[in-house]
Amino acid sequence: MALAARRNIRRLAELSADRGLDWLNLFVGNIQTGFGPYVAIYLTTSGWTETSIGLALSLGTVVAMVSQVPAGALVDSISNKTGVVLFSLLAFGTSALLFAIQPVALAVYVAEVIHSFSSCTLGPAIAAISLAVAGPAMQGLRFGRNARFASIGNGIGAALMGAVGYYVSERAVFFLTAGLSLPALLPLSRLARIDYRRAAPCGNDGAKTAGGAGRMLRDRALVTFAACAMLFTLGNAAMLPLIGNALTKTVGGEASLVIAACIVLPQLVVAAISPAIGRLAEANGRRSVLLLGFCTLPIRGLLFAALTDPVLIVLVQILDGVAAACLGVMVPLVTSDVAGRSGHFNLSLGLVGLAMGIGATLSTSLTGWVGDRYGHPVAFACLAVIGIAATVLVWTAMPETRATQPVPAPRE
Amino acid sequence: MTLVSRLPGSASAVLAAPLLLLNASSVSLATARDTPMILLTQGNTTTHDGAAPSSATPVAPPPPKNLEPLPPSKSTGVLGKKVVGPDGKELGLVVDVVVADDGLPRAAVIDFGGFLGVGSRKIAVDWRLLRFAPARPDGQVLLTLGRAEIQAAPEYKPDAAADQMVGPPWEAPPSTAVHK
Repeated sequence: MALAARRNIRRLAELSADRGLDWLNLFVGNIQTGFGPYVAIYLTTSGWTETSIGLALSLGTVVAMVSQVPAGALVDSISNKTGVVLFSLLAFGTSALLFAIQPVALAVYVAEVIHSFSSCTLGPAIAAISLAVAGPAMQGLRFGRNARFASIGNGIGAALMGAVGYYVSERAVFFLTAGLSLPALLPLSRLARIDYRRAAPCGNDGAKTAGGAGRMLRDRALVTFAACAMLFTLGNAAMLPLIGNALTKTVGGEASLVIAACIVLPQLVVAAISPAIGRLAEANGRRSVLLLGFCTLPIRGLLFAALTDPVLIVLVQILDGVAAACLGVMVPLVTSDVAGRSGHFNLSLGLVGLAMGIGATLSTSLTGWVGDRYGHPVAFACLAVIGIAATVLVWTAMPETRATQPVPAPRE
Repeated sequence: MTLVSRLPGSASAVLAAPLLLLNASSVSLATARDTPMILLTQGNTTTHDGAAPSSATPVAPPPPKNLEPLPPSKSTGVLGKKVVGPDGKELGLVVDVVVADDGLPRAAVIDFGGFLGVGSRKIAVDWRLLRFAPARPDGQVLLTLGRAEIQAAPEYKPDAAADQMVGPPWEAPPSTAVHK
């Protein structure tokens, strides 16, 4: 009797934790929007020069790159993952407030550093909580839901911040961002009592295997996956800014609207299909989902190179949504497959994050360089070729990482 | 389009230009807001070094002798100010000012279009196409050019050898005349 009652309570707690994670992802998606390219606009309206804005943003990028792997190791070593999320969210709020209160150099640099570092702890911590909440059999679905709600949060964030920036002020956007980090703390109460020892990746149950962090980082499947993710980001990151730039040149007064559609439509697609992608990965394996996501990249590049009709361009962005859903689910899922039992899940996630960060940075420079010399179509074709290379790499080198037999759910 | 005076914003633009230079020289730190609204004129830059007492406590140097007022109602910084078109719709932000070798502003670089910072492009427009209203609290800048002309303009790259700016339509050579 008592056992049954305890089991029921636990079921309820799990259900509640699932909802809590949904809300957490939504609010985090919401907050992250404010730190995007909008920072550059805000600093410009505050009288910052191009050079100093570039310096501040580069500082953020460098800090994010340098801290990915150490931050992952740090999250691995802390068993209280909700505590990590709490601190990261408070850091986000502080960073947004620093931006809002006075955009002077020191405050902005500090804000960039705080935000970049806490991004590196927040993502892995949420992924680790998700593993604990979902259990091995439901990971795909759980990461699918994470991606869905993060994407909804992004969409709401973009709409809110666009409106506040337009009707109130650029500065108000950052006060709003800071304010939004408070409701994001509420779902944490539902996650605080999760038994993190249930999920081996947390590495706090004494199950740390012999191989240390070094061996984990040299794992063939992990390194291959990181290389695939880097190539994908190299081909993907500059695609949207480039098409936005092309649209601003060719489409008239409604260019901003078309660009907004190019940003929002993929978010809707991610929100719609991510859970299905997670289910597909559990049913058909990770390779097929990776290939599905990766092969959209060359198609998109070639279509952008050829198309000029804004309506068609917006429709092509559906492919961006498919790719984003696949990557959004597969990055934590494959990493969990590979590093799941080692106690180095977050460290490994950091490595993949670092690879993607490098890809994104190179993507912008490469595309800028090619676009300046040879024009937009050639730049898109170039991104398409990188996409083909990424797809071929997945096809030839990436092993299937799904456990060969379904893992039984570890419930008494 | 009427042929308006060639000296836009009259004295205010002339006053604003050295202010901008001042700003640009302290690139990484100063924001336009922090720049004191005082115009430091040439000459008379001697300091009172000899007058300072030889004690260990550092003494702030006295202000320069030649200070002239720079009233905010008649002058304004332009970096980061919003640019609106003749129809009053927002076009972009002033991100840089290009000066010629005579020290006078030649063009303004405007970051144009985009959504939430994605997809904007920089173009240079002739300084004379801008109208300034320092008295307005938001310091909005009016650009006397249609959206279509801006849109078709080549992108401005600071270090490109063949940079171009959009000139006044009434001066456009026949080969590149803007068709209405």
